[in-house]
Amino acid sequence: MSPSAQAPIRHDFNPYTENGGTILAIAGADFAVIAGDTRQSEGYNIQTRYAPKVFRLTDKAVLAVNGFAADGNMFVKKVKQRLEWYRHAHAKDMPLHAIARLIQTMLYAKRFFPYYVYNILGGIEEDGTGAVYSFDPVGSYEREACRAAGAAQSLVQPFLDNQIYFKNQQAAPGSPHPAHLPLNQVLALVTDSFTSATERHIEVGDGLEIYIVLAKGRNSNELESLKGVAEVTTASEAIATGERLFVLRRELKKD
Amino acid sequence: MNSIASRFASTSASAAISRDEEENQVAASMWGSTGGFGNLGQVGIPSFEIPRVPDPTNFLRMHTDDRNDPSCRIKIQHGTTTLAFRFQGGIIVAVDSRATAGSYIASGTVKKVIEINKYLLGTMAGGAADCQYWETYLGIQCRLHELRNRERISVAAASKYLSNLVYGYKGMGLSMGTMIAGWDKTGPALFYVDSDGQRLKGDLFSVGSGSTFAYGVLDAGYRWDLSEEEAQELGRRAIYAAGHRDAFSGNTVNLYHVKEDGWKFIGNYDVTTLHYEGPGNVPGAVPGGYGYDVRTEGLHSRGAATVA
Amino acid sequence: MSIMSYNGGSVVAMVGKNCVAIASDLRLGSQALTVATDFQKIFPVTDRIFLGLPGLATDVLTLKERFRFRVNMYTIKEEREIEPETFAHLVSSTLYERRFGPYFVEPVIAGLGKDNKPFIAATDLIGCLTLPKDFAVSGTASDKMFGVAEGLWEPDLEPEDLFETISQTLMNAVDRDAYSGWGAIVHVITPDKVITRTLKSRMD
Repeated sequence: MSPSAQAPIRHDFNPYTENGGTILAIAGADFAVIAGDTRQSEGYNIQTRYAPKVFRLTDKAVLAVNGFAADGNMFVKKVKQRLEWYRHAHAKDMPLHAIARLIQTMLYAKRFFPYYVYNILGGIEEDGTGAVYSFDPVGSYEREACRAAGAAQSLVQPFLDNQIYFKNQQAAPGSPHPAHLPLNQVLALVTDSFTSATERHIEVGDGLEIYIVLAKGRNSNELESLKGVAEVTTASEAIATGERLFVLRRELKKD
Repeated sequence: MNSIASRFASTSASAAISRDEEENQVAASMWGSTGGFGNLGQVGIPSFEIPRVPDPTNFLRMHTDDRNDPSCRIKIQHGTTTLAFRFQGGIIVAVDSRATAGSYIASGTVKKVIEINKYLLGTMAGGAADCQYWETYLGIQCRLHELRNRERISVAAASKYLSNLVYGYKGMGLSMGTMIAGWDKTGPALFYVDSDGQRLKGDLFSVGSGSTFAYGVLDAGYRWDLSEEEAQELGRRAIYAAGHRDAFSGNTVNLYHVKEDGWKFIGNYDVTTLHYEGPGNVPGAVPGGYGYDVRTEGLHSRGAATVA
Repeated sequence: MSIMSYNGGSVVAMVGKNCVAIASDLRLGSQALTVATDFQKIFPVTDRIFLGLPGLATDVLTLKERFRFRVNMYTIKEEREIEPETFAHLVSSTLYERRFGPYFVEPVIAGLGKDNKPFIAATDLIGCLTLPKDFAVSGTASDKMFGVAEGLWEPDLEPEDLFETISQTLMNAVDRDAYSGWGAIVHVITPDKVITRTLKSRMD
């Protein structure tokens, strides 16, 4: 049979891959912590030891993106673009709950050709409270106090249920469990979660990037004593008046 | 050849889906000058990007349907128990709050009752995003109906709007099994709408993986002349039963009551608390836990004294 | 759907200071349907060794009896109780006998050996032994238990602290697993007694 008479060979169109890694966000009373490891892998190969998965959107909103890195980076780019347009139209940053709804509509716009990404949005709400919003790839979302996503979500989330929500723990009589934990305890839990995940999951490790958003007027005492903290607030006058944004970087095991 | 021909002779999905570079068209709304739904196009209907393959539906199923292929990458959340029934005192709507992705319990705090407006409730079963998005969208259309006609939309009309809308996407992979409950000029009204395009008017429905368990309790206890307290207790008890027996339902019960002056949120109840202690001091509830072991402690075969 | 998760269930074992603990859930399901909430999957082998068998329930019951028979034969022939290490190898070889038509069970073994030395082990369904020094997990919630145990476990826990650690690990893990839960049981093996407790846990 001549080549031209052969039926065309059909290849499945597979535009997705999985790049590993884990992200995590916890809301406090007047702060939010959004973290992710920095390893990017495909199968058993490490593509890079430093590929950020957590991104600053505004001084009070941080987005963590996990799943297919190419989709994730493109999605963050488009969210940032829409937020810039909003700034041009309204001369202010978009409120966190509005960013959450924007992300829903942007994800759902690709309902029939989804972004293969799990998003966690963290930051400060207009009322000054810390907030975390988690999304599925096609845009269903929910406000929560704590959420882990990605390769090691099933390792990290039950640990957090226990340590943040005090699940399966009985409060001592007269001293109920606190609704929100203090910042230093939250940071310790985030670090522990990632070292545990690094230990037991091959796709997690290399580096840890923790973003910390502080509500308007909240002191930053706990952060000043920590090594490797950098302030990344952009609005210059915000140091005195607005929300403040910090990054904390830690090493994770590289094996 | 057939696949190429069918690209141009599409019979399904008449809703505004085009293969144009939708993304490159920047609508005014995207600049933030008209708030709300970001991807509402000029015509007021959302537009969706479609992969450029001969069979986009098959493409989507290949990557998202975990019932066909448990190893598929994008896991859309499934598993639910929802119920709603009409009775003398209005409509009871009760749902669980569990979301599962495979065997992993992704969330135990999902809001499966969507508050469309003060008088309309929608329930969520199937694809979480599909229900959330389209029922929010339905809320917008219901408000526009109010503004245009100076009159609230009827439950029949609202549910038919949703039904027609999802029918436009039939066969493309939407997954929703929803109940629309509300109060209009005709009194309490309840409709079942799903993504196949089915729309039913009825007095009692339950949807989701745990629906058989809920129906078991519901059918045994349902009467038209139930008091409000009895009806609320029946809804709570039915979702508990599903939460207990169905692996993909549980965590908490959300209970709503639709009355003439709109819906009212009755409460959130932990399924495990219901099992061991019951709903607490709530009108209509029998004291004590719902759990079989709890109710029959010392009475069943294991607890009974053995005869030598 | 995987045959390993047809009935659901999870087991975890942990090492403490001169003690070991083993715990499991109590669910027996048929895929999504929860059939029983009192299904034991941990069995005593001797006074100081326990065997956890999460996996396909029919094989759990078959293997429980097979191991009872083989341990009894060992005890009669050797005129002494079997040691945990020896039992672990017995489990391993029993499973490998069925290399090409395996029992769908991934056992966990916990016990105290000579001089009250803590011993835990786990194998896959064809008997590949692993001998961790901290904890062993198996069943439909194994990935969840790995995460919690890695965060909670520390060396040289006393029996009561070990009980708390293993209980919290199991309960918080199975609460994120659709196929495990509905009650739990914990055995802490100490040199002079075995402490067995059933836990009040989530029933959904």
